[in-house]
Amino acid sequence: MFGLQILFSIFESKNMQKITISDLQKIHEYLYEIPKSYRNDMRVPAQIFVNEAMLLEVLTDKSLEQIVNVASLPGIVKAAIAMPDIHQGYGFPIGGVAATDINNGGVISPGGIGYDINCGVRLLVSNINQKEIKPHIEKLATSIFNTIPSGVGRSGKLKVNKEELDRILRFGVEEMIRLGYGIESDQEFCESNGKLIIANPDMVSEQAKKRGSDQIGTLGSGNHFLEIQYVDKIYDEKAARAFNLSEGLVTVMIHCGSRGLGHQVCTDYVKLMINNAKKWNITLPDRELICAPFISKEGQEYYHAMAAASNFAWANRHVIAHWVRNTWQKILGESSYLNLVYDVAHNIGKQETHTINGQDKELLVHRKGATRAFGPHHKEIPQNYQQVGQPVLIPGTMGTASYVLAGNKESMEISFGTSCHGAGRRMSRIKAKQSVKGNELREQLEAKGIIIRCDSQTGLSEEAPVAYKDIDNVVSVIENAKIARRVARLRPLAVIKGD
Amino acid sequence: MQKKDFELISHTADLQLRVYGITKEELFKNALIGMFQAIKPINSSCTHKNERLICKILPIEHALTITSIDQEVLLVDFLSQALTYSDMYNEAYLGVTIQKLENSSIEALLHGITIDGFEGVEIKAVTYHDLWIKQENNVWVANIVFDI
Repeated sequence: MFGLQILFSIFESKNMQKITISDLQKIHEYLYEIPKSYRNDMRVPAQIFVNEAMLLEVLTDKSLEQIVNVASLPGIVKAAIAMPDIHQGYGFPIGGVAATDINNGGVISPGGIGYDINCGVRLLVSNINQKEIKPHIEKLATSIFNTIPSGVGRSGKLKVNKEELDRILRFGVEEMIRLGYGIESDQEFCESNGKLIIANPDMVSEQAKKRGSDQIGTLGSGNHFLEIQYVDKIYDEKAARAFNLSEGLVTVMIHCGSRGLGHQVCTDYVKLMINNAKKWNITLPDRELICAPFISKEGQEYYHAMAAASNFAWANRHVIAHWVRNTWQKILGESSYLNLVYDVAHNIGKQETHTINGQDKELLVHRKGATRAFGPHHKEIPQNYQQVGQPVLIPGTMGTASYVLAGNKESMEISFGTSCHGAGRRMSRIKAKQSVKGNELREQLEAKGIIIRCDSQTGLSEEAPVAYKDIDNVVSVIENAKIARRVARLRPLAVIKGD
Repeated sequence: MQKKDFELISHTADLQLRVYGITKEELFKNALIGMFQAIKPINSSCTHKNERLICKILPIEHALTITSIDQEVLLVDFLSQALTYSDMYNEAYLGVTIQKLENSSIEALLHGITIDGFEGVEIKAVTYHDLWIKQENNVWVANIVFDI
């Protein structure tokens, strides 16, 4: 029926052998490969972008076993790819990329996109510099913290009815602009213009809609945050000029996703696919990798629902940015402004055309904790960025740097136009809490001049910098592998987060 | 003799829960309570003991009837539905009456409280990764990984 006749059978992942360094082949200083011959069910090799020191750390959790599992997905092409921020997740590792050939049995896997559909990052740049903002930073941070709801399940100020929500699911940022949020030009500076046109609200369950109806404009909790930062170093003058970034300028970074609506969409379709798996004869090493042929009814329904949840996430970040802009002007005056640099998704599945062995193929690219990094002259990036490539936003951890990169042309061949998405966890939340006390961390960060607005000491300790890899190492691998290049480094002035 | 009802197990990015029960009914109940205690619901009329929220009464009820393809999927579906209700209604469920539990179906009544949020992590979803249920020395044990 789909070129695949498969029996659904599950191997317990715990039965799988632990991967050791001897199972990996070094391709170059920043790329290692687990060959297809490593395990019978691998359809392609697994490629891991890391340096040697980082690789030793990656070997300590199950992330390499997970990327090998991804290499078994029906229709996967070229390689299952892991970014340098790789760490253990569920099903896919975080920092995982998989592209499947949709015309040759390729599947779509909801778990390979993640429960927080279109979790992503938005960066805005102001017309004020670090010195000018100093007298206002405390007030600004407090005011933004009080304006933007954050924390587990926290409802927002914006309540929408079913018809309004359906329009947001269908039109994303475009609909929010129509409703008076943000400015017209914002749309151009969002990946996919903040609107996946294949979105279909009818594919989103009533429970998902109910969860989302009061969550637009909310940050959520965990690693989601809003930071006021400043540009402390420029690496690429030409790209920085295109992105309107210059040394000293203050920026705002927003990291959040599709909240309960997206979580429910993924939950609903994982369940649907598990219940229907016998139809597709699929053999998988981990149940969380459950998938459906992209062209199947269930695959298409999920794809359209996922697109709707993605539009919801873009609308969410857009409304947060709108309220930040209002607060900004109230405190800093009418002449101050925040322009959108870019808004990127890092949990998403997209139909894209890529060249494989000289042939153009229609692929479904899963990016799970991975950011699109299209290079110069790609038709999907804004006109202003055509000469330099798209901005790739890499948030760091509290108290450390974040980076703005620019996608390189080579990324299309290397990684389906994909980069890392952050520093990547190296320590569980339990261990982080044991090693760092929230109040001590707050004091340390405040001693560095970083304002913290977070009600939860636990939330702070769980997200402590020590719990993450060194972002400089992660970005260095991306740059040396020629996926993307450094444009600017951002340092935090204030961190606003939920629990 | 069963010593624990549930415990958190270290996981790099997510939340892993090991759950115990003398019976399967107790296993499902402890999984539900473990999930909600892990995210620390806030309710000013309840008290805290050993880092757990203790409520004398659980006035809110939701009836559940779920059929799944096997017992592991049933456990995920059961917890997922409770999580969905929690997010929809701002509630937490710290008790359950299980009226009927078979290998792949459950009829149950969730007992809960309204909440002012959670102090702990946000559980986005209950996953099927590293999911298992087994019986060891007459105790049912389950492993569940939550996306947080």
